[in-house]
Amino acid sequence: MSDKKGGIDILDLIKKVLFTDFVKGLRITLGYNVSKSITHRYPDEEKWIPYRRFRGVHTLNRDEHGRELCVACELCVKACPTSCITVVPMEDDTGRGIADRVAKIWKVNLVRCLYCGYCEDACPTRAVRLGREYELACADFKCTVRNREELLLPQPVPESIEGGLVAKAKFERSLSGIKVTADLSATKKRAW
Amino acid sequence: MATIKINGKEITVEDNTLILDAARKAGYEIPTFCYQADLMGIGSCRMCLVEIEGQRKLQPSCITPVLHGMSINTDSSTVASARAGVLEFLLANHALDCPVCDKGGECELQDMVHKYGPRTGRHAEPKFKFHEKDYVLSQVIIKNSNRCVQCMKCVRVCREVVGRNVLGALGRGDHQEPTSFNRTFLDCDMDGNCIEVCPVGCFMRLPYRYKSRPWDLKGADTICPYCATGCRMVIEERDGQLLRARAQLGVGLNSETLCARGRFGCDFVNSAERITKPLIRHQAATWAEALASVKDGFSGKEGKHIGGVAAATLTNEELYLFQKLMRTVFGSPNIDSSSRWNSDAASAFIHAASMNEGGVSIFDCMEADTVLIIGSHISDENPVSEYIVRRISSNRRMNLIIASPRAMKLDSSANVKLRHLPAAEKAVLDAITLVINAGKLSEAEKLKAIKDSKMVDLLTAAGVGVDEITDIAKRLSASQSVAIVAGTEFLRFPDGTSGLALLKDVLKNLGKKVTVMPTLDRCNQRGAWEMGVHPSFGPGYATAEKGMDTEALLEAAMRGEIDALYVVGEDIISDYPDREFARTALSKVRFLVVQDIFMSETAKLAHVILPGASFSEKEGMFTNQEGRAQSIRKLLALPGKAKRDLDIIRAVGELFDGSFGPKNAVLVLDEIRQVNPMYSDVSLLFNNKKNSDNRLDNRAALVKCAAGVLPAAGEFASKAVSSRMEEHSFALVTGSHLFHLGRFSRKSETLLGLIKGATVEICEDDAARLGFVSGEKVKVKGKNHEVLATLKTSTGSKSRVAFIPESFEDAEVNRFFRRGEGVPRVSITRANQ
Repeated sequence: MSDKKGGIDILDLIKKVLFTDFVKGLRITLGYNVSKSITHRYPDEEKWIPYRRFRGVHTLNRDEHGRELCVACELCVKACPTSCITVVPMEDDTGRGIADRVAKIWKVNLVRCLYCGYCEDACPTRAVRLGREYELACADFKCTVRNREELLLPQPVPESIEGGLVAKAKFERSLSGIKVTADLSATKKRAW
Repeated sequence: MATIKINGKEITVEDNTLILDAARKAGYEIPTFCYQADLMGIGSCRMCLVEIEGQRKLQPSCITPVLHGMSINTDSSTVASARAGVLEFLLANHALDCPVCDKGGECELQDMVHKYGPRTGRHAEPKFKFHEKDYVLSQVIIKNSNRCVQCMKCVRVCREVVGRNVLGALGRGDHQEPTSFNRTFLDCDMDGNCIEVCPVGCFMRLPYRYKSRPWDLKGADTICPYCATGCRMVIEERDGQLLRARAQLGVGLNSETLCARGRFGCDFVNSAERITKPLIRHQAATWAEALASVKDGFSGKEGKHIGGVAAATLTNEELYLFQKLMRTVFGSPNIDSSSRWNSDAASAFIHAASMNEGGVSIFDCMEADTVLIIGSHISDENPVSEYIVRRISSNRRMNLIIASPRAMKLDSSANVKLRHLPAAEKAVLDAITLVINAGKLSEAEKLKAIKDSKMVDLLTAAGVGVDEITDIAKRLSASQSVAIVAGTEFLRFPDGTSGLALLKDVLKNLGKKVTVMPTLDRCNQRGAWEMGVHPSFGPGYATAEKGMDTEALLEAAMRGEIDALYVVGEDIISDYPDREFARTALSKVRFLVVQDIFMSETAKLAHVILPGASFSEKEGMFTNQEGRAQSIRKLLALPGKAKRDLDIIRAVGELFDGSFGPKNAVLVLDEIRQVNPMYSDVSLLFNNKKNSDNRLDNRAALVKCAAGVLPAAGEFASKAVSSRMEEHSFALVTGSHLFHLGRFSRKSETLLGLIKGATVEICEDDAARLGFVSGEKVKVKGKNHEVLATLKTSTGSKSRVAFIPESFEDAEVNRFFRRGEGVPRVSITRANQ
């Protein structure tokens, strides 16, 4: 602010008369108005496919022979800062897992989880990974806990897709809840 | 004494102390795998290498004794690199499958590598593998040799402590594998001590396999609920299920050892058969209804028509409150703690074993020059006491004498083993006493005394030779101190107690120090007596109005004189040696209340059933056979609507007397301390403390001497058997099985898996004579009952003695017995004949 002792600041007055600040602000608004939109039309038309490094809902993985990698060593439980993982091991030497020790129960409470990824780091067999699913809203507390069977299912976004894409999506609403299905064949790079 | 310097610190220790012990005493930690205080040192793992000044090479401290003036360095850089080197070599072939291994999280190798080890390994060669898959070594032990560090603790504990010798080392060098012969199935005691001593996940528990991680478990320090040895153990649960029981090094009198029952038998508390709600005439009811029904049943009844039987598996506090309830509230002196023997036998045994003179430590007994074990199949009944006897007797110059009709594992440690006829303890002891007395006579008179007609009668009655008896007498006479370990046969055949008392007095008169230690087969039998659950004495063996014992109660019930009977935890029908009589008598009791955790045969007849708590669900104290009062701790929540026995007994008392109490276990203990002078010093604080330096004898827990003198016991009729029998005829004896004791073990899935069905054990020679082979199904036929059982032969047992364990439901052994009769005779024939 300039010195006001000499009465009204001439420069200030001119700025006010010509709406300079207003035009400055409007320029940004108008500029965005004509630039390319970065808003995803989620969930109705588009869905964001995150990068591989994304830390979403846990997944349990299998090796190339389809055997479960998890040996239920419970190190993820030990590493978890919020104690949201429960593992109960059992013996099964029918080839279900890579060792004769497999998980009887492997469940994670997604409401408690803070997606820090310590479980991934602790896992000696790379069985648990934080996946790319991030749609957690639901109307029922039951769905906040994911168990082994669900986590072992093949992921909607395969590992081969690098991510960082926006896919065409379909929004479905049914009695069982809402669902956004992405069409991975129709994707486009995110435009920054 | 030798003065040595450890890391510059000067200390003085006794000659022949190991460097390791000296360093630990001085406060320096030396890591070890193969060293264990009780086991023979072999110096195989090389973790304990230390630097001795003036010696070029490092020395293993666990087998090197100190020399005066030695200067030892335990944490120099040479030592540190040697330790890291040893660990690197141990890991060279180690499977490193920690995520799968059950030991992960409590593995000594993990801890050592974390603390001392190299952070990287330089071995690039493929690892040597003994086998691909874990193999099952017995019903409770599974093995993975790839993780072995060759410390050989398993082999040594099996040989030196358990005395089974079923493990050994196959191969050499890094291909050395401690296992059974040809890796075949072990015929062992299933006690799992090899699992407990194993520092890595080489020996593992099969029942605990892949159930949990050590950090998931919540534990409580408690006392084993089976025999009266009183082993300290930690029981651990996950999600309300008791998963395992383990012993700890240097804790309790048992240190790291337990038997099969203790280590694998505690899963009975998880049983689905537990009673979870009160039942009135077998219909579910609420507590209020059940207690109202109890009130109806007991109101207005005269004390002499009321009786109470409490099991010797309850805690001291419960037993004390129970006898207080019976004596003060119901005014009934009719109270007993066992249905297997009568109360006079118990009084005589307590008198003969001087149990009123306070606790006797088993470690003191083992200090004696001669130890005589009689009336107990200690190897099966009190396995951990047996381990202590074996371990100490093999390290000392002493006489160990075992007198028993049946061969046992401890025989191999004995200097003299005597095989006498069942129920002939009195004859054996009298014969020994006679010979000891004859020792004072001249040579000619001695011969005469030995050939005396009385002596001949005794020898015939006992079925033993004169040479054996003279040998024992000679050894006893030559010793300065004698310890007699007297077992439960004295309670079954109480005439032996007078022989025991006589021998004790004779030896005392000869100026010897004599200690008598009872061995009992219920975890709190001694506590039950000392709390006054006995018809002729109150707490602390104080004289009380004489009442009826279980036997007399049953007789009175038969006559229709019992209006109300309160049974806590005891199964009279299954235990009383005449099953049909007990059943008929109990069915005539007008009002029967049974408080139990399982639906026992007795409970099936009850009008009201109150669900009680198992040892893992309550607090309290057990007094073991030596007289150590040790506390048990609560771990699990009560199943369903069950309540703690103490609360139930108090609730029953409050029905009649609103001020009946004390209100909780701690206050009851306070009252016990005041009332019972033997327990005046007993405290909850010290008795669960860890014993430092692996010194296991926690003397503070021993109870003190009782006030007053016990009256001498009366005479009992002999139930001895004659040695003249027909060809197929055997004298039937009973007792505890190595895997089964009492009723709880029958609800343990693991223990039930160890042995299928009842067995009958006879001597090998008899089997050969009759053409039987071990494992064959035979028919055992007595006057009153017959069962099919699997034949088991034993080497070196007395001929013509058949043994059927007590607690098999498919061989109700008490049906063979008839009241007032002696040892039953049975004939054994092939099952298909």
